[in-house]
Amino acid sequence: MNKVALITGTRKGIGRALAEHLLNQNWTVAGCSRRSSELEHPNYHHYTLNVGDEAAVVQMVRQVKRELGPIYALINNAGTAAMNHILLTPGNTCKSLFETNVFGSFTFLRECAKLMSRQRDGRIINISSIAAALDLEGEAIYAASKAAIESLTRTAAKELAPHGITVNAIGPTPIETDLIRGIPEQAINSLIQQQAVKRMGTVNDISNCVDFFLNENSSFITGQIIYLGGVS
Amino acid sequence: MQPHRTAITALVIETLQDLGEDLKNKDLQSANETTRLFGSRSALDSMNLVNFIADVEERISDEYEIHIILANESAMSRTHSPFRSVSSCIDYIMKLIAQNAE
Repeated sequence: MNKVALITGTRKGIGRALAEHLLNQNWTVAGCSRRSSELEHPNYHHYTLNVGDEAAVVQMVRQVKRELGPIYALINNAGTAAMNHILLTPGNTCKSLFETNVFGSFTFLRECAKLMSRQRDGRIINISSIAAALDLEGEAIYAASKAAIESLTRTAAKELAPHGITVNAIGPTPIETDLIRGIPEQAINSLIQQQAVKRMGTVNDISNCVDFFLNENSSFITGQIIYLGGVS
Repeated sequence: MQPHRTAITALVIETLQDLGEDLKNKDLQSANETTRLFGSRSALDSMNLVNFIADVEERISDEYEIHIILANESAMSRTHSPFRSVSSCIDYIMKLIAQNAE
């Protein structure tokens, strides 16, 4: 029987690439996004919801367990970005970004961990960003939300270790997705110059880390944040 | 239709008894409405309290298609926790089910 992974934000970008990656490795994948997905695969199941809606998340997680079986892995990928100077950032942007990036990830983590706790086995991977490590100017709220995710990752790792659950995070560099489409090329180049390895990231760089965290031999790896590109 | 208190009582006690079988814990196997769930005289440690809460949520979801969240800020409070006893836990669940129906 295939293992089940729940991945948030699978309609496009990193989430979709990770869904395809795990499907190719014979996982069953439950994905979600605000809108429907064009990803078609016999082992892919899409749910439409806003990850900031606590009740909808609770319902989805329980539905996935009922319809697909025990959830072994959660990848908290859904996220939005806001590139703006602090002085020009509206309060509503701050609130809605935290609802998706932090509160949504928290609710999925809590609900999946409850189920994993009964299995005494599970892997949770949160997607952070090098924006948190570099305290990127012009991305204050986005970086703050990812810093919150990293703190949540470390604390959850401690609280969930006795339940057999590992919690880790990946901090990708910029990669070619819609999330960075609006950022000027000069800003991206400046960011890349702060990396040890000076190139754009790829989804393969991220899926490589995902494979590491999901590997059966990685049960002793928890509370870790892996930044790509040599950022520390 | 909302489940009656008797049905929820049976569901909660059955969940505790199943957990008691898993844990080979006789106090849980003979659980009743006065069984303490939280505190020094509780039959559950904090990890198994979490498992119990998750099981109850899941069973209510499966049996009644009612998706309540039992997580509560007072969960670990000695005096205010809704998980002090089976009885207070059932009261809390009935309250959440009623709120969910509104």
